[in-house]
Amino acid sequence: MENLDAARLQMAFTLIFHIVFACIGMVMPFFMVVSHYKWLKTRDQMYLTLTKSWQKGVAIFFVTGAVSGTALSFELGLLWPEFMKHAGPIIGMPFSLEGAAFFVEAIALGFYLYGWNKLPEKFHWITGIIIGVSGVASGILVVAANGWMNSPTGFDYIDGKFLNIDPVKAMLNPAWFTQALHMTLAAFTATGFAVAGIHAYQVYKKRKIELHKKAFKIAITFGAIAAILQPISGDISAKDIAKRQPVKLAAMEAHYNTEKRAPLYIGGIVNAETQEVNYKIAIPGMLSFLAFGDFNAEVKGLNDFPEDEQPNVPIVHYAFQIMVGIGTLLLLAGLLYFVSLKKKKWLSNKKYWLLFVLLAPLGFLALEAGWIVTEVGRQPWIIHKIMKTKDAVTPMPGIVFSFYMYIVVYLTLSVAVTWLMIRQIKVLNNSNS
Amino acid sequence: MLYVVLFFLMFSLYLYVVLGGADYGAGIIELFSSKENQKITKKTIYRVMGPVWEANHIWIIILIVILWIAFPVYYNIMVVHLHIPLTIILLGVTLRGVAFVFRHYDAVIDNSQKLYDGMFMVSSLITPIFLGIVFGALISGKINIVEDISTLTFYEAFIMPWCNLFSILVGLFFAALCAFLSSVLLIGESTGKNARIYVRKSIIATIIVVLLGLVTFGYGYISGNVFVKDFIRSPLALIAVILSGVLLYPLKRMIKKGNTVWSRSLAGIQVFLILLAAIIAHFPDIIITTNSSVSLIEKIAPDSVIKALGISLIIGGAVILPGLFHLLKSFKMIKILEQNNNTST
Repeated sequence: MENLDAARLQMAFTLIFHIVFACIGMVMPFFMVVSHYKWLKTRDQMYLTLTKSWQKGVAIFFVTGAVSGTALSFELGLLWPEFMKHAGPIIGMPFSLEGAAFFVEAIALGFYLYGWNKLPEKFHWITGIIIGVSGVASGILVVAANGWMNSPTGFDYIDGKFLNIDPVKAMLNPAWFTQALHMTLAAFTATGFAVAGIHAYQVYKKRKIELHKKAFKIAITFGAIAAILQPISGDISAKDIAKRQPVKLAAMEAHYNTEKRAPLYIGGIVNAETQEVNYKIAIPGMLSFLAFGDFNAEVKGLNDFPEDEQPNVPIVHYAFQIMVGIGTLLLLAGLLYFVSLKKKKWLSNKKYWLLFVLLAPLGFLALEAGWIVTEVGRQPWIIHKIMKTKDAVTPMPGIVFSFYMYIVVYLTLSVAVTWLMIRQIKVLNNSNS
Repeated sequence: MLYVVLFFLMFSLYLYVVLGGADYGAGIIELFSSKENQKITKKTIYRVMGPVWEANHIWIIILIVILWIAFPVYYNIMVVHLHIPLTIILLGVTLRGVAFVFRHYDAVIDNSQKLYDGMFMVSSLITPIFLGIVFGALISGKINIVEDISTLTFYEAFIMPWCNLFSILVGLFFAALCAFLSSVLLIGESTGKNARIYVRKSIIATIIVVLLGLVTFGYGYISGNVFVKDFIRSPLALIAVILSGVLLYPLKRMIKKGNTVWSRSLAGIQVFLILLAAIIAHFPDIIITTNSSVSLIEKIAPDSVIKALGISLIIGGAVILPGLFHLLKSFKMIKILEQNNNTST
C-alpha cells in the first residue's frame, strides 16, 4: 500500500470512529438532562433510574470520544505534517476555542457525575446542561475548522506562502455555518434514533416496558425533530456547494456533462469509464433547481474540470445517495412518531417497536456517508485549490503498520464498548424501579 | 502577546506534568504494589482522581494545540521525527483512559476487572516513559534536520532521535517523578496503615528519582550531550535543581507531621523547579539537533495569529480556571465532610 493511501485510510478510519463517539457524547447529555428534569418535577423513581443509567453512557462515550479526539489532535500532525505546518496557525482559533469548550465540558461532567446528593439540586441539573451545550459548541468549532479546508479564507496565498493571516476570518469561513448546522442536526438525528432503537428493542422484548417507553420517548423526540428539520439544512448546503465546490456537486450527482435543465439522478450504478449512470431514476431539471433554485440553470459537469482535480466519482455518488435515502426514511419515521402520539393503538403493536429497532443504526450510517461525501468529495485537495493531499503527507514510510495497529485497537474498543452497554442495559432491567 | 502564549504553554506543560503526572504515577504505584495493596490503591485512586482525571489530561491537548498554532515549525519537527514514540503515547493514553472508565463504570463486577486493571497499570507506566523519551529526544542532540529528509536512512530520521540511551533515561526519570508525585498525593488521601504504605512508596520513589537523575546527568556528561553541558554552565538551572533537592528535607518532615497541604505543595514546587531548570538551561533553543539547535521563539506564527491565540487563551483561562478550581475545591470539601462522618459514626 502507498504511504498516502495508508495515511488517508488511517485518518478515515479513526475519524469514522471518533464521529460516532463524539456525537453520542455530545447529544446524550440532552436526553439525560430531560430525564433528570422529569425526575425533579415528578419524583417518579423511574426517571431517576433512567437518568443515572444514561449518565453512565454519557461518561463512557465522553471518555472514548475524548481519547479518540486526543488521538486525532496528534494524528493531524503525525500524518499531515506539511498541512499542519501551514494550516495550523490559520485554523488554530477554532481549535483553541474547542479546547476551552471541551475543558468546560469535562469540568461540568466532573460536577455532574459526582454531584448526586452533594450539590444543590438545581445547580447539579445546570451542570448537566453545561455538558450538553459545551459539547455542541466543541462540535461546531471542529466542523468550522473542517469548513476552512473546503473554503479556505483568512489569508493571502502568494508564491506558495500563506501571508496576511486573519484567524477570525478563517474560522468564520463561508462553509462553517452550513456544515455546522447540517452536522449538529445529523448528530441529533443519528443519536436520537440509535438510543430510541435500543430502548424500542427492550420494549419489543417486553423488558421493563414502562421505563423503556419513557426513555424511547425522550430520545425519539430529539431524533424526529432533527430529522424533520434536516432537509432544510441539506438544501442550504447543496446550494452552497454548487457555488463554492461545483466539482464536488458534480461528483455527488455523477453529473459528467455541463448542461442546462440538469436532471437529478436517484440511485444508479456509475460507470466511470463510459461516464454513464445506469439503472437510475432521472428527474429532469431537478438538479438545476436544487442547486440554483431555477429549473433551467446550467450545472457544470465533471468534464469541465481537469482530470487530476476530480474526486473519486462512484464513492462520492454512492455515499451521497445513501445519505439522502436514509435521511428521507428517517424524516418519514419522525413524522410517523408524531402521528403515533395521536394513535395510541399503534403503541401496543409489536411491529411499531420493531420498526424503530431496525432504524437504530441508520442515522449513523447516513452521518458517516455524509462525511465521506464532504471528505472524499474534496480530494485531491487537502486545502481546496491550495494544497494537495499528497503534498501534505508525512515523509515517514511504513504508515500502513500504524494503520493496522489502529484497526486492531479501535475494533477491540468498539466491541468492548458495545459489550459494556449490553451489560448496562441488563443491570437496568434487573433494577428495582 | 507572545509572552502570554509562552506563559500558557509553560503553564499547561507544568499542570500536565503535575496533574497528569500524578495520575500516571497512581497507576505505576498500583503496578508495584502487593495484591492486597493494589485493591486499596485502586479505591483511593478512584476517590481522588474520579472527578478530575479527564480535566487533568486535557492539558496535553491544550499544549499540542498551542504548539501547532504558535510554533508550527517546532511542532513539525516533533511530529515528523518523533512519529513512533508519539504514536506509542497515543496508544497508551487511549488504553489507559478506556481502562480507567471500564473498571469503574462497568455495571457488572467480575473477572474482566483483572484485564482492565492490567491495561490501566501497564499503560500508566509506558505512557510517561515515552513522554519523557520525547522530551529527552528533543534535547538529546540526535535529531537530524536536513533539507531533504529522503537523504537520511529510516534509522537516522525516525529511530535514532529517540531510541538512544539518553532519551530513554529521561523517560525513566519522568516515570519515576510521576510515581513520586502520586505517592505524596496518596499519603494525604489515606490514614493509618494505608498511609504508611504510601510513605514507604514515596521514599522508594524519591530514591529512584534522585538516582535516575544522577545517572542521566552522568551519562549525558560523559557522552558529551550539549544540553547537559550547558545545564551545568547555567547557574540558574543549577540553583533550581539543587533547591529542589534541598526541599526533600522539609518534605520529609511535613509527611511525618501529616501536613497534607504543605507536603503536596512542596512536591509541586520541586517538580516546578526541575522543569524550570530543564527549560531555562537552554532556552529558547529547546530542540537540539545533531549539529545545531532550533529556537522555540524563532520562526513563530505571524503576529495576527499570536494575538488571536493570546486573546483566546486569556478568555478560555478566565472561564476554565475558576471552574476547575471550584471543582477541585468542591470535592475536597465533600471528602473532608465524609471523613468526619466516618470517624463520628
